[in-house]
This record gives sequence, C-alpha cells and structure tokens, in this order.
Amino acid sequence: MAYSEVEEVDGYVGNFKVKVRKKARYVREEDCNSCAECAEVCPVVVPDEFQMGLSSRKAVYLPFPQAVPASYIIDMEACLGTNPIACGKCEEACEKVCIDYDMKDEIFELEVGVVVVATGMDVYDPTELDEYCYTRYDNVITSMEFERLICAGGATEGHFVRPSDRDVPQRIAFIQCVGSRNNAGDKGNRYCSNICCMNTVKDTLLLRDHYPDCECTVFYVDIRAFGKGFEDLYMRSREEGVKYIRGLPGEIRQDPETKNLFLTAENTLTGEVREYEFDAVVLSVGVIPRRDSALVKKLLSLSTTGDGFYMEAHPKLKPVDTPTRGVYICGCSESPKDVKDSVTQASAAAARAMTILNAGHVTVEAITAAIDPALCTGCGLCAKVCPFNAVEVDKEKKTAWVVSAMCMGCGNCGATCNQGAVTMGHFTDDQYYAQIDALLDEDAADKVFTFACNWCSYAGADNAGISRIQYPASPRLVRTMCSARVTEDFVLYAFVKGAPVVLVSGCHFADCHYIDANRQTVKRVYRLWDKLEKLGIRPERLQLEWISAAEGQKFARVMRGLEEMRQQVTAEEVEHTKKVLAEEWEKKLAREAKRKKKAEADESRDEVQVS
Amino acid sequence: MSQETKFKCLKCGHEYVEKYAPDDDIERACPKCHSNSVRPEKPKKADVAEKK
Ligand SMILES: [Zn+2]
Repeated sequence: MAYSEVEEVDGYVGNFKVKVRKKARYVREEDCNSCAECAEVCPVVVPDEFQMGLSSRKAVYLPFPQAVPASYIIDMEACLGTNPIACGKCEEACEKVCIDYDMKDEIFELEVGVVVVATGMDVYDPTELDEYCYTRYDNVITSMEFERLICAGGATEGHFVRPSDRDVPQRIAFIQCVGSRNNAGDKGNRYCSNICCMNTVKDTLLLRDHYPDCECTVFYVDIRAFGKGFEDLYMRSREEGVKYIRGLPGEIRQDPETKNLFLTAENTLTGEVREYEFDAVVLSVGVIPRRDSALVKKLLSLSTTGDGFYMEAHPKLKPVDTPTRGVYICGCSESPKDVKDSVTQASAAAARAMTILNAGHVTVEAITAAIDPALCTGCGLCAKVCPFNAVEVDKEKKTAWVVSAMCMGCGNCGATCNQGAVTMGHFTDDQYYAQIDALLDEDAADKVFTFACNWCSYAGADNAGISRIQYPASPRLVRTMCSARVTEDFVLYAFVKGAPVVLVSGCHFADCHYIDANRQTVKRVYRLWDKLEKLGIRPERLQLEWISAAEGQKFARVMRGLEEMRQQVTAEEVEHTKKVLAEEWEKKLAREAKRKKKAEADESRDEVQVS
Repeated sequence: MSQETKFKCLKCGHEYVEKYAPDDDIERACPKCHSNSVRPEKPKKADVAEKK
C-alpha cells in the first residue's frame, strides 16, 4: 500500500490488527497511465522535495520517476483546486478522466501475524555546524544534494553544476564525517554513519568519469573501507588521482566575487596547515534515525538504543527480533547500513517472520506472568507498568489478566502488585525467598547480596569470570530476568536475613531488554532508600548499579567497592536492622495472611452462590 | 518539569546539583565516582510551601 500510513496497531503476535490510512491521491491510480498531460497544464510550481529543492514540480506530480504505482498525485496544499478560484486545468487535460478532487482518505483494518519494520533513515542536517557555512554559501552542498545533481534522473539530468552560477566546478572538495563521530556530542552524533566513506569514494569516481579533468580532494578522519570489494574501489579512486587528506577543515571562507571557497585544514599525517581553494564543497552528511521514529516506537512497543535507532532483542543471537514478539526490524531503522547489508538483514527479517507464520503457533517461554483472580483487585497498576501492554484490566469486574503471547516475563508487574496476585513462571516470590534464605542462612555478614538481571549484569559477572578479572569472594548473586522484578520486599527480606549490603543491578537504560522496565527499578530503589532512612537504617547499604554484559571490569570494580562497604557495616548495625525490619516483616506477613483468608472466603462464597 | 535538584552519591558521598524530574528518562551516575547509586534529595516542605 503506497502513500499510506499506519495509525494504530493492536493485538499481539499472530493476531495483530493494523489500522492503515491510505491517503487520497486525488488521481485514480488504477486509471492513470502517467502520461503527464495534467502536469503540463498545471500552473502551480513548487520546489521538488525529491530533488532536494534543486528543481521544481507541479501541484499534480509523480513523486519520483520510479514511483510505484506510476500514478500522479495532487498536492492539495499547493493545488488551486476548483474553489474559490476555479482552475481545474488538470481535470480538463486528463483524457482518461482520472482526476477526482473529492477523493477521501480511506481507512483499512488489516489482520496480520507479524510486522516487519523497515522504515529507513533520515540524513543529518548540517545547518548547526557553523564552520561549514552550509546555509551561508551556495556552493556548499550536502552529499544528498550532490546525488540529485549527478544522477541522470536528477535536477540537472546528471550535469554536476554549482548552484551559484551553474558552471561545472573544476575543483571539488568532499568533507567526511559531517554530523558523525563527534565525540564531544554537542553537535551531530557520536556514531559512525557507516556508508559515507564508500559513498564519497563512489562519488569521486563518478566525477572523474563524467569530468576527467576535475580535481577531487577528500578531507577525512579515517577511510573505513571494510566491505567486500570496498578497498579495491578506494584504491581505484586514489589511482584515478583523487587526493585524500587526513584532517577535517576548521573553517570555510568564501570569495564574495567568484563564490569560490577556501578551506583551512591541517594534514594530520604531515602536520602541514594550509588553505585550499575549491569551486564547490560537498559535505558528506551522516545518517540519523527517522525523525518520526518515536511514533513507530510507540505503536509497536519497540525500544531504541542511545543513538535513537531501534534496538534488536539480542545483538548476536536475535539481530532482527525486537523486544516485542512478532515484530522484526531491518535496514537503517536498526542502524546505519548500505544497500547490501539492508538487503541481507531484510531477508533475515522476512525469514524470521515466515518461521512464525509457517509454524502457525508460537511457543512462549514458561516465564510469563499469571494473575490470580482471587487476589486481584483490578487496580490496574500492573497494566500501567507493563512495557508490552500485555495486561488487560476489567475495572468493573475488578480483575486483570495477562495475554501470554505478549508477555515477555520481565516481572515488573509482579514487583508492582501489592496484593500478591501476580505469579511469575519459574521466578516466583517463593523461589526468591528460598534463594535469599539459602544464601543468607549462614554467615550472612560475610556476603554482599546481589540481584543481577539475566541479560546484562549477570552476564557482566560472567564476563568478569571468563576474563579472569579478580574480585572479592563476598558477592552472592540471585538472577532476575529484569531488575524490575526485584520487589521492595525482596530487598527488605535480604536485610531481615542479615545482609550487610544489598545491590540491585541491571542493564544500562539504553540496553534494557524490556523496553524501559528498569526505570521502575529506579523508582523502587528511591522508595526503598526513603523507607530505610525512615526506619533508621543507612540507605547507603542498598546500592544500585547498571552493568552491561561487556562490563566485566565494572562488575569487578563495583564488587570491590561493595566489599569495602561491607567491612564497614558493624555487627550491631546488622542486628539493629534485623530487629527493626523483623517487626515490619511480621506486620507484612499478617497483612498478607489476612488478604489470603479474605480471598479464600470470597471464593468459597462465590462457589456457594453458583451451586 | 525539571528542577535543579541536589543529588547525593550513596557510594562516595559526593553531593552535586542536577536538573531532575520524577519522570525524566536519564541514566544517572555520580560525576565523581561514576556510581549509579545517586539519590535525589526530596524538596523540603518549606520549598513546596513557597511554591504554593
Ligand atoms: Zn560518587
């Protein structure tokens, strides 16, 4: 469905319901044969966005030469229409009677089993980089604009002319890493955009092919030519006489008369600083996530990495899966990549999608949540914190239930429910209490009690181990799927059992495998710090750390710090904590028992009524 | 709304001021020791009263 937008996505793997708005084209696509007679008579001229504004189009237009379907569209914001001033020239010119000014958007409801996100990317806007004067000097253009100029189907039919005087430039500079690899992070992005080096190498070869006399100079930081055949292409460019200077220009100056550009740069290989004169400068701009990527993120409950691209479920083992079951990602929506890598990844995403569709059923790991209707009060707190919208609540019937196919088993709902109504498969409360008992029954004072999430901090501990990094022997780890599974009661119980220090650890914010579940961890730890302080217990004894799977060093450093902290906790302090919290714990148990008794009573009453 | 808030590192004791709102999505770390155990100070009752 071309010229359409997804507005809503409901449901779950195998049962997605997708609402799509097919926008009105005002030209019947089934009849239009793109004869262009409508455009010829259209009196409205506007900049052509596909040609980066370097040429114009009419209000009735073909979006780009290879558009599918090959049907014209009327840009209603630009069109004079038939009201209030009658134009209607396209309608008169169209022999096939395709024009329909009254066409309306159509809404389609689709039922689909899986969703593949291939929404692509946007390019970096270099306006904010004052040193390159992109908006001040006509002859400073971006690599995208260069593409539209050198392309046979482009604004100048493949003639590369400079915007100021439409002359063919003889001396052309390319500046690499514009908006990429900026470690200061103030302007542009920290990451490498992956495609710009080879794009420039290709552009220099195109220029040398079109204009054998032109001089090309590339200012670069590193040339990253790591793909198949890429090094050969780079060498060919050098052999063709393209100059490569290692160092980025600090400023660009323009001669007001000739509009020629002067670049000052240091060649970092020779240490030479000098000024170079060029007729045109091409800024090799980086790739950024689509500007509307947050919309799709919300629609499909996706997560993004720190740079804003969609995050895969696992970087090595599930590179096209997302945290939401049945949703796959590929291409530049996942990270900057070239056509070949995009095709490879898209094939993988399609294959993953077909695997589920062909199987006809989904196997869910037995770690999902279940809600006991007898204990549930229908408060809806669990639904509020579920990152996957897997909990449905019936406020009238005062109950909630989990859609297993949507639940990924993070346990956030289990930690949030204050009625004890949620049971996490294989990660039940009782199992955690049993683990705490087992680890702290003996010599609790010698141990640093640690909750570690499955994906990152537990793996970080593994990393420390396999890297043979030395750390104290005091840590005792309990694994949770997500740090958001750690209830306030688990932490308090560890203190009741005599833990001198407790650590809650999880994934870094950008790496959370359950979209944003670990933000709840922070809120819980903040509440616990307040509670401990109120009870006269030093909040410092509860620590919070984000440790990634690759941070074995950090895991060891944290553990060394906690061991020092453990040694400073006195036996009297531990005893005081146990005493204070034991009273609290008794009250909690009494509350729970009362609640269970009431639930049982309610249940048996219901049974009597039924019979 | 973000507000200048005093944070205390529960690892090294370092205190610093940073913009904070209960729902902001920022991974915080102590600027001195890089620990993530940083605790925002609750606005004092007097401050809240002043705002009202
Ligand atoms: Zn610190």
